[in-house]
Amino acid sequence: MLKYLIRRVLQMIPVFLGVTMLLFVLRAPGVLPGDPVRMITGERAISDTLRAQIVEEYGLDRSLPEQYAIYLGNLMKGDLGQSFQKSRPVVDILADKFPNTVRLALAAIVIEIIMGITAGIISAVKQYSLADVLTTLSTSILVAIPVFWLGMMLQLLFGILLKRWTGGAFYLPISGMESYQFPAWAHMILPAITLASVSTAYVARIMRSQMLEALGQDYIRTAEAKGLSRRAVIWRHAMKNAMIPVVTFIGIDLGVMMAGAILTETIFNWPGVGLEIFHAIGQRDWPVLMGGVIFIVFAVMIVNLLVDLSYAVLDPRIRYGGAAE
Amino acid sequence: MSTLLEVRNLKTHFHTRDGVVKAVDGVNFSLEAGQTLAVVGESGSGKSVTALSIMRLIPESTGVIGADSDILFKGESILSMDDVSMRSIRGDRIAMIFQDPMTSLNPVYRVGRQVGESLVLHKGLKKKEADERAVELLDMVGIPHARERARDYPHQFSGGMRQRAMIAMALACDPDILIADEPTTALDVTIQAQILELMIALQERTGTAIIMITHDLGVVADMANDVMVMYAGKQVEYGTAEDVFYRPLHPYTWGLLESLPRHDVSDKGVLVPITGQPPSLINVPDGCAFHPRCPYAKEICHTTVPSLESIEDGHSSACLFSQDPSFRRDEVSPSGEVA
Ligand SMILES: Nc1ncnc2c1ncn2[C@@H]1O[C@H](COP(=O)(O)OP(=O)(O)OP(=O)(O)O)[C@@H](O)[C@H]1O
Ligand code: SF4
Ligand SMILES: [Mg+2]
Repeated sequence: MLKYLIRRVLQMIPVFLGVTMLLFVLRAPGVLPGDPVRMITGERAISDTLRAQIVEEYGLDRSLPEQYAIYLGNLMKGDLGQSFQKSRPVVDILADKFPNTVRLALAAIVIEIIMGITAGIISAVKQYSLADVLTTLSTSILVAIPVFWLGMMLQLLFGILLKRWTGGAFYLPISGMESYQFPAWAHMILPAITLASVSTAYVARIMRSQMLEALGQDYIRTAEAKGLSRRAVIWRHAMKNAMIPVVTFIGIDLGVMMAGAILTETIFNWPGVGLEIFHAIGQRDWPVLMGGVIFIVFAVMIVNLLVDLSYAVLDPRIRYGGAAE
Repeated sequence: MSTLLEVRNLKTHFHTRDGVVKAVDGVNFSLEAGQTLAVVGESGSGKSVTALSIMRLIPESTGVIGADSDILFKGESILSMDDVSMRSIRGDRIAMIFQDPMTSLNPVYRVGRQVGESLVLHKGLKKKEADERAVELLDMVGIPHARERARDYPHQFSGGMRQRAMIAMALACDPDILIADEPTTALDVTIQAQILELMIALQERTGTAIIMITHDLGVVADMANDVMVMYAGKQVEYGTAEDVFYRPLHPYTWGLLESLPRHDVSDKGVLVPITGQPPSLINVPDGCAFHPRCPYAKEICHTTVPSLESIEDGHSSACLFSQDPSFRRDEVSPSGEVA
């Protein structure tokens, strides 16, 4: 187990190097337009002395490999550099934004778990019933709808139209995460639904197919032959088996959401890591962009590792590090 | 001896998209306490469906049991019981083990827990007590270090051990009837023999009646009191093991016996399989269902359905010619099988 853990952590290193190197190559002169000094100073003209000072300060005069080595060295110390735009350490910026991303991701995961799993179980247990047909239909639609479009439609419906129809008495916030009219949690409703939509549909589908598969297994017949009630057979014997792939999916999805849902955060102006990266791209704020991406890669890898470890708890056939079947 | 189980004119049909599958079509038999009935027949002859009908585990969506069919357990009709009463019999009074031990245990629960589960359900044991009893049961079916092995998961068991665990599970509540649906088919030959020996030994100890389903007559020669031969959902021969092995009446039984490996003959090449395939149960041939494959078929066999007739005392056959004493093939019986 410990061996497995160490191996997994060591495996992260090449991934890390790959991602950071790729970003550095993109920074090489001529690959993408934009002069880093200009990014920092803005459009106004600057004197050569000031330019030299900035180049010196941000290490822009060194060769790319050199810059990369310095960057990695700093990374080891937990230093992701300074933002070009905000003159703040990137680490501080991300530390500010990350909790918001986590908050939104957790809200979305809760929706995903409750709605997705319930719908999946109902439609499997009552196969071909009206509920099943509706689930299949709505999940197909949800999967096909682009997230940004769904987000904007929700904004239109619950934010603007609903406000108009009720004469301003009832509507939902569609932007940001704080305002004097609404409690903080209300700001989370629409972005969380948007963020959860596609995954909820997938969870429902996976749950349904896994449940049906489990219910068709021989051990279900064994359980029935013991005299267990249908309910006990479903909840005790089918459920745990069916849950294994679902938990995997949700876990990986949590990692993806941690990554900052760039689309959702942008549409709803949600001040998370995703929105920060979105702004950084527009402003060519390389340190923030790089730091954000590295942060995300790290978060995803950690979550995936946790998911893998939780397998062993759910599925006894999986044992890490030892001789598994 | 008292009659435990009586199956009367059992008809189990499946309504499928392709038509009605007459999986079991008019089967009658009874089982006395402590006795062993072997049900033999090729694949698709309706053996499992017969067993599942007794357990009332036929899928309700497609399976229909005939209105004039009945299954009596200790005189009480199983088919007209409500679900709750049926569940109290299932796994407690009538237990069943299945063909494939590799897939019949739930992979995510410990073996001991699964063995003890019916004790919690039917006998009201606490989980701890059931675990304790499960260890004894696993020990009883010959699993070494039962206490440690009870904490294992099914994938840590070999095929033979899993089938032993299945037997322990089935016998947990000390049932009156154990239905074993080809319990050894999925196992290799030496393990098959061990499992059979175990079942015989346990039956002597517990007095459980056994319905032993198999497509291999040799397997049951050692343990069956009675044998029922099935073909295309119908009984074609029924009698004591002695009768069916040494004085078989039906041409299909002859075929089965001839296709049996004979342990006494040194040249093992003389297996004579029955030619042709079992019929579709949607379009069962007219007349005798066996006629397309029967070497003795006459014109009349194409049109007249033979009914199961008692030929000798307790020995019946569903062949139009069985009444004729010269229509016999005594030499087909495998030697050295029946004690
Ligand atoms: N749920 C079902 N729906 C439709 N047809 C079924 C169903 N269960 C069984 N059958 C059909 O009933 C027939 C008898 O099946 P059964 O399983 O009883 O055969 P068997 O004698 O046990 O054969 P085997 O030796 O292969 O186990 C087969 O043709 C099978 O396809
Ligand atoms: S009735 Fe005819 S076809 Fe059927 S088993 Fe007898 S001889 Fe063969
Ligand atoms: Mg079968």
